[in-house]
Amino acid sequence: MDLQEKIASLLPSATIEQAQYLTISVAKNDLRKAAETLRHQLGFDILWSLTGMDWGTALGVVYHLASSAKPGEIVVLKTQAEDRENPMLHTVCDLWATAELNEREVYAMFGIRFINNPDMRKLLLNENWVGFPLRKDYNADPELNPLNLHSDEVSDLRPKLVEQADGTVKEEWDEIFTNKEYIVNIGPQHPATHGVLHFRVSLDGEAIKKVDPHLGYIHRGIERMCESLTYPQMLHLTDRLDYLSAHMNRHAICMCVENALQLEIPERVKYIRTLMDELTRIASHLLAWSCMCMDMGGLTAFIYGMRDREKILSIFDDTCGGRLITNYNIIGGVMADIKPGFQKQVKEFIPYMRKMLKEHNAIYTGNVIAKNRMTGIGHMSRELSINQVVSGPSGRASGFSSDMRKHRPYGAYDKVKFNEIMRTEGDTFARYSARLEEISASLDIIEQLIDNIPEGQSLVKTKAVIRLPEGEYMEWVEAARGAFGVYICSKGEKTPYRVKFRSTGMPLVAVVDEISRDEKIADLIAIGGSLDYVVPDIDR
Amino acid sequence: MNLELRTLMQLIDEGLRANLPKFWAVAIECLSVGLALLAGYAVLAMLLIYVERKVCAWFQVRIGPNRVGPFGIFQTVADTLKMLLKEVIPINHVDRFLFYTAPFVVIAASMLTFAALPFAKGIQAIDFNIGVFYIMAISSISILGILLAGWSSNNKFSMIGAMRSGAQMISYELSVGLSLLAIVMLSGTMQLSTLVEQQADLWFIFQGHVPAFIAFVIYLIAGHAETNRGPFDLPEAESELTAGFHTEYSGIHFGFFYLAEYLNMFIIAGIAATVFLGGWQPLHIPGLDGFNYVMDFIPSFIWFLAKVFFLIFLSLWVRWTFPRLRIDQLLHLEWKYLMPLSLLNILIMAVLVVMGWHF
Amino acid sequence: MTFSSYIKSWGVGIKSLATGMSISMMNFWRKPVTECYPENRHTLQMSDRFRAVLTMPHNANNEHKCTACGICQLSCPNDTIQVISKTEAAEDGKTKKVLDRHVYKLGQCTFCNLCVMTCPSGAIVFSQDFEQSVYTRSKLTLQLNQPGSVLEKKQA
Repeated sequence: MDLQEKIASLLPSATIEQAQYLTISVAKNDLRKAAETLRHQLGFDILWSLTGMDWGTALGVVYHLASSAKPGEIVVLKTQAEDRENPMLHTVCDLWATAELNEREVYAMFGIRFINNPDMRKLLLNENWVGFPLRKDYNADPELNPLNLHSDEVSDLRPKLVEQADGTVKEEWDEIFTNKEYIVNIGPQHPATHGVLHFRVSLDGEAIKKVDPHLGYIHRGIERMCESLTYPQMLHLTDRLDYLSAHMNRHAICMCVENALQLEIPERVKYIRTLMDELTRIASHLLAWSCMCMDMGGLTAFIYGMRDREKILSIFDDTCGGRLITNYNIIGGVMADIKPGFQKQVKEFIPYMRKMLKEHNAIYTGNVIAKNRMTGIGHMSRELSINQVVSGPSGRASGFSSDMRKHRPYGAYDKVKFNEIMRTEGDTFARYSARLEEISASLDIIEQLIDNIPEGQSLVKTKAVIRLPEGEYMEWVEAARGAFGVYICSKGEKTPYRVKFRSTGMPLVAVVDEISRDEKIADLIAIGGSLDYVVPDIDR
Repeated sequence: MNLELRTLMQLIDEGLRANLPKFWAVAIECLSVGLALLAGYAVLAMLLIYVERKVCAWFQVRIGPNRVGPFGIFQTVADTLKMLLKEVIPINHVDRFLFYTAPFVVIAASMLTFAALPFAKGIQAIDFNIGVFYIMAISSISILGILLAGWSSNNKFSMIGAMRSGAQMISYELSVGLSLLAIVMLSGTMQLSTLVEQQADLWFIFQGHVPAFIAFVIYLIAGHAETNRGPFDLPEAESELTAGFHTEYSGIHFGFFYLAEYLNMFIIAGIAATVFLGGWQPLHIPGLDGFNYVMDFIPSFIWFLAKVFFLIFLSLWVRWTFPRLRIDQLLHLEWKYLMPLSLLNILIMAVLVVMGWHF
Repeated sequence: MTFSSYIKSWGVGIKSLATGMSISMMNFWRKPVTECYPENRHTLQMSDRFRAVLTMPHNANNEHKCTACGICQLSCPNDTIQVISKTEAAEDGKTKKVLDRHVYKLGQCTFCNLCVMTCPSGAIVFSQDFEQSVYTRSKLTLQLNQPGSVLEKKQA
């Protein structure tokens, strides 16, 4: 019995259709049953992405699910909350822990409140923000939300909607921190938060009792901006999400649009994109390594990492014309073909990097201080990483195989041999070494591709005005920090109806509280370095 | 030709005594010694900051300061001027008296220790018969300043930093004391001038060979920790506590902490050089008279500074290689590794001295 | 912790610290990698694909290739470009739309290259002159066509 029939028999009231993915639509009241069935009976234990939607008449949520056995085979669950005035849905955060933060984001952006979610504060926006920005009827009048020149106190109270035995819903409030706790702000201006991230940390001496992440300091509303931009125009914003995975992010969105247009991409382009992705991954992991060393007080190692990353940046500079914001992938190919010297530059870089990796391992990985600070600290179990969908090197360090390059091969990844770097310890040291090992894995991939770039076009001509056929599309790539997905809902216009970027960083922040409890302040910094979140990717 | 500073001092002394009543001569001498020490303190601090920035840059394959003056040599002069001109920002809700006293406590403690160092032959301002004891006692006052700074700042980061510093200083004082004790046992004196004179033929690190060398290494590690510099910079730990105990300080008050940090590095290296490496004594190897004769031509203050700067370079090398320890690792290192070793080392030294196995 | 593992931890620790120090000493003698800007600005080679500022190349007769079609303005995601045109009487008596001012706001540009890619006449390019810092924001609004410049005549 195939999956579709199985689901149909278990959920007779659901509408099932085969779009890009198998899509199950359920009514609001059947959501819990459908979610529980998918989670417990069919083993869909990964909630890849939770997307709020405004279909014009009704608001709703789209869930992208997969099982940890086959993380690349995705099933879509959709539901609607009919009421626009006071929309409410049941939470799924008891089934997939990652839903908690995502539902808070949906509440802030669409106003849908989730019953039984323990924390219904707005994520990314202030509690007193007027309107719900991603709704189609949002009033963007600056008078409604004037620029605040004074800082608001961060409230210690959080609301939640609790379902009573008789089915009614009651609003309750509880305290995050009591006023007897010693609370320290790590961020938003703090040297170790890598951007404007704000952790409120409750301390007992040096030990951490609780961490409450407070997000949204650089929320720019990129998803909303995309709704008013054409597809080629949209691209320039993706480089500014996770700026350290600029190539991969753009690869994902280009792939999503190209697949929707059913555009045939030349092999040469696929090779070039794959090479660039891997170089970006090395650059990003080097930066992560450097910053982690710096956070732990090893400033010299930081400079060494930056020195090596510079080599990749100058390759980008030469080929793409940009170093960080590379602007290279465009719909149909790449902006300009690689230069004749590109292969030589890359081939010079590979042995250099291998040599430097040895040095990096000698100066830092083997160091007794560093090792003792990382081993056994910030342990993340495999269950937790799946439940919170911590993908990428951080998840793989806990044994969660989530590499989209393996599970949904794209670009030229089906033509190369490489190992998904997996570890089982799940501590800070495992996450740290997973990154260094991924650098050498990436070097191997590049080595296999660099001499075999096929001849051909580097750009396919597209129509002057690109209109995506009506439908919903989602494409995935493996960015440096995990699986990055782009969801586009098109109504056949030249601008998308709704765009959602699956943040690779949000799960990383979501686990901080759990894995750093009872560790020390210094460990919180090391754990943060090993998780390697990038704030613009979380805040979008 | 005699390049010794002492000759110059004697000339000045004779000149003053010949022309002035004894009281005024002594008064002027005291005053000028004080001024010279203060000036030396400030100049050394500026020099050390420059050296640190340059050496750090070389370790990090960078160039370092190169804008102000040739090779950036006036960089720290400019920085000092800036520091002097900077506004001291008043902070609300601090304990004003303690807050403004703290930097002075820190700088006074390091100044008093600095004054006791024998810089060259006959150049030593304070020479007690309990010199080693005096240095130990005075240098541990600076921790009071750090605790006061952290406590009075009304800032949570400062508070955590100060508490860390307290735990750290109290622990590492022990190793510092025990390692110096090993040499006191060997020499039988606590007076710094006598200590130096006893090393005229052979430095203590060679006289006491194995235990002296162990004591030397322990002293360097523990002393490095006492200066609150990486990898022991937990009290300020910039990636955890922003700036630790001196987060709230600005202008010259911050400057005092900054100055004291660098001078403490000099002081620790200076004590190590005096106690283990013969202070201002030249390198003498018994039996090689020709070599010893040549070595004597190098003035004593150059010997002293050369040894001190060599030790400072070691300290910078360590600082710019290792990541910061965590508080529990820091205490482990002291109580589980350095302390037992120091105690064992004292025992070995005692046996050595009793049996006369030293040189 | 057993006594033997305690003794071993001494050895492991000292060895790892010595390795680290040898690596940093090795780097101590390496040549600095610092870019000496601005001393090296005369030898500094920027990549020809580097996007620093949008320019409109003019030939020796003060002629550019912009037909004032406004496609660049349309494709710009950030409203960086404003093409202001005027109508002029052509030689054959008809009126013709020609470029009056091509206004480019450098401060708003994200260097996505869409304007250059979509321009049908190849009239605008990005230059590599990256030294673009100014003291007032108004100076970031540039006019790309030179005063008095006209559309380049098609070669017959």
